[in-house]
Amino acid sequence: MTDPTTPAVVAAEHSLAALAADPWARELYFADDVELHPGLRELRAAMPDSIVDVVRFRDETTIHVRREDFREVCGFLRDHPQVAFNFLTDETAVDMLHLRESPRFDVVALLYSLSNRVRLRIKAGCDDGDAVPSLVPLWNGANWLEREAYDMFGIIFAGHPNLRRILLADDWDEGHPLRKDYPLRGWRPFPVFNTDRPVGRVRTRWTGRENV
Amino acid sequence: MSAATNRPGVDQRSVEVDFPVDDFGGAGEALGTMTISDEVALGENQRLMTLNMGPQHPSTHGVLRVLLKLDGEVITDCDPVIGYLHRGTEKLGESHRYAQLIPWTDRTDYVAAPMNNLGCVLAIEKLVDVTSPERAQYWRVIMSELARIASHLVWLGTHALDIGALSMSLYCFRERELIMDIFETFCGARLTTNMMEIGGFSRPIPDILPGMVRDFCNVFPSRQQEYVDVLSANPIWIARTKGIGIISPEAAISYSLTGACLRGSGINYDIRKAMPYLVYDRLDFEVPLGTHGDTFDRYLVRMEEMRQARKIILQCLDQCEKMDTPLMAYESPYVIPPHKGTMTTAEDMQRHFIWVIKGFNPPVGEAYAAVEHPKGENGYYFVSDGDAMPYRWRIRSPDFVNLGVLPHLAQGAMLADVVALIGTIDIVLGSVDR
Repeated sequence: MTDPTTPAVVAAEHSLAALAADPWARELYFADDVELHPGLRELRAAMPDSIVDVVRFRDETTIHVRREDFREVCGFLRDHPQVAFNFLTDETAVDMLHLRESPRFDVVALLYSLSNRVRLRIKAGCDDGDAVPSLVPLWNGANWLEREAYDMFGIIFAGHPNLRRILLADDWDEGHPLRKDYPLRGWRPFPVFNTDRPVGRVRTRWTGRENV
Repeated sequence: MSAATNRPGVDQRSVEVDFPVDDFGGAGEALGTMTISDEVALGENQRLMTLNMGPQHPSTHGVLRVLLKLDGEVITDCDPVIGYLHRGTEKLGESHRYAQLIPWTDRTDYVAAPMNNLGCVLAIEKLVDVTSPERAQYWRVIMSELARIASHLVWLGTHALDIGALSMSLYCFRERELIMDIFETFCGARLTTNMMEIGGFSRPIPDILPGMVRDFCNVFPSRQQEYVDVLSANPIWIARTKGIGIISPEAAISYSLTGACLRGSGINYDIRKAMPYLVYDRLDFEVPLGTHGDTFDRYLVRMEEMRQARKIILQCLDQCEKMDTPLMAYESPYVIPPHKGTMTTAEDMQRHFIWVIKGFNPPVGEAYAAVEHPKGENGYYFVSDGDAMPYRWRIRSPDFVNLGVLPHLAQGAMLADVVALIGTIDIVLGSVDR
């Protein structure tokens, strides 16, 4: 038997009362029970198969979705009249190489609802070489953000009009630097001009973390 | 894959796609896809000209390079080329301890460094669940609003300089000097302040500082009136800004604009009001909104933001001057111990040693915190694996995202308006390239 006076039970009852009063109340986005989150609730009703995992940490809700449904989920949340996550704050990626076996990358979209004043993070896992649906058809702002994610992680966004490098040079041929297996130290050939000497080598600076 | 994959530089790896990919041309805009060799013949003796503006052009606010395709004087396509100032700040963060990240943030948007510090420490404090004391929160608000005024003054001076009003930059830098003096008195540095710390401020507030801030607030309205006298009824200024660079509300949302670029189009999104951080929910201020979304409206919005910032500073001074509470949340293990204790007690000395040498290990998780930077939403996203160094550090810089609207604005505009458009977006290349 659960004690009806424990904070968790009281909070859950309070949330249920709020749900009965107004299913779109702003408090529900931050309720202890993450399943009461209106965005998650609507998403579960509309596309239950696409949700992989839901995480709540420090009042921030993260929904892991299947890679194929990434754009559809974001489009559904954007066009929903009440939930209305209609603003793309940020889109980036995380290389999960040291944290799990597979999939290797997380593509992270941070959505914001201008009417509800709530953030929601959508994550889609993808392996090296997988194509992730581009969000450019939904938000033009995703154009540069996805170019940056491609530049730094090598993630391919299918449907992107112009998937080029953006921060590094167009002809940069040394991979994608924010990957965890990008070498931080070592030797690389260094061209020496106007001499007859063979190609020299420079030692790149060691920058810290072991096992990288 | 969809269209536009046969241009040089565009990724041409073939990938297995197991979901429907609609051909491009729906909601998104395929602007800024040109290359330097894109010269298209129109007819006999007519062709589009490709012009390379920057990276050494004085009106591009740093090392921005803009590739322009011109039909006469009308721009048909525009492709901003960035990355000349890319220093890999996010990668550097992965091999530095959390407290060592804060000086790096100074170097992103270096005209409003305290606000970068603030966003970073708020994200770290959210990750380790530390709240700074009330008095420190008030002083953080004061410093960040001073930084907002300083940043807007640099914007106004350089923007007017680009359009042709040379004297504005002299006026604006005169007032900015007063703010730099305040920063210097507080932390010893003028530009790269490294002012905020995890848990509050470890430096004391100098006794003369409230007086200096009050003096600035007293003198600033009359000085701002001088700018208004010079610009607001100036026919050249009006001709160069009114109706130039119109951003519709829909386009502002679609391009993820924040800050004055979004509010100039009439969208009410200010993080200080929408999701109040620090003590902003106790302060009385208004968020100015534009109506037409043109360059002149964004000028009016930023001018009003400076007046509101002064109002916020005075309220904070009134509310916190009598407080005598500490400036640092010393009770938390994630915060550096007090200097006096470090010198006198063994416990604090040990804690200080560990804090400096090994750092602290935050819980496993991730946190995002954003502040209303003078240029827009400046967000910091940390992924922690429990190590003393962040697993992933993401800087969501407003300048980078806002600059993405430049191809949309420049298309169909005149060549001479490009400098006005770059100025009105208000970019700092250190923050664009990170």
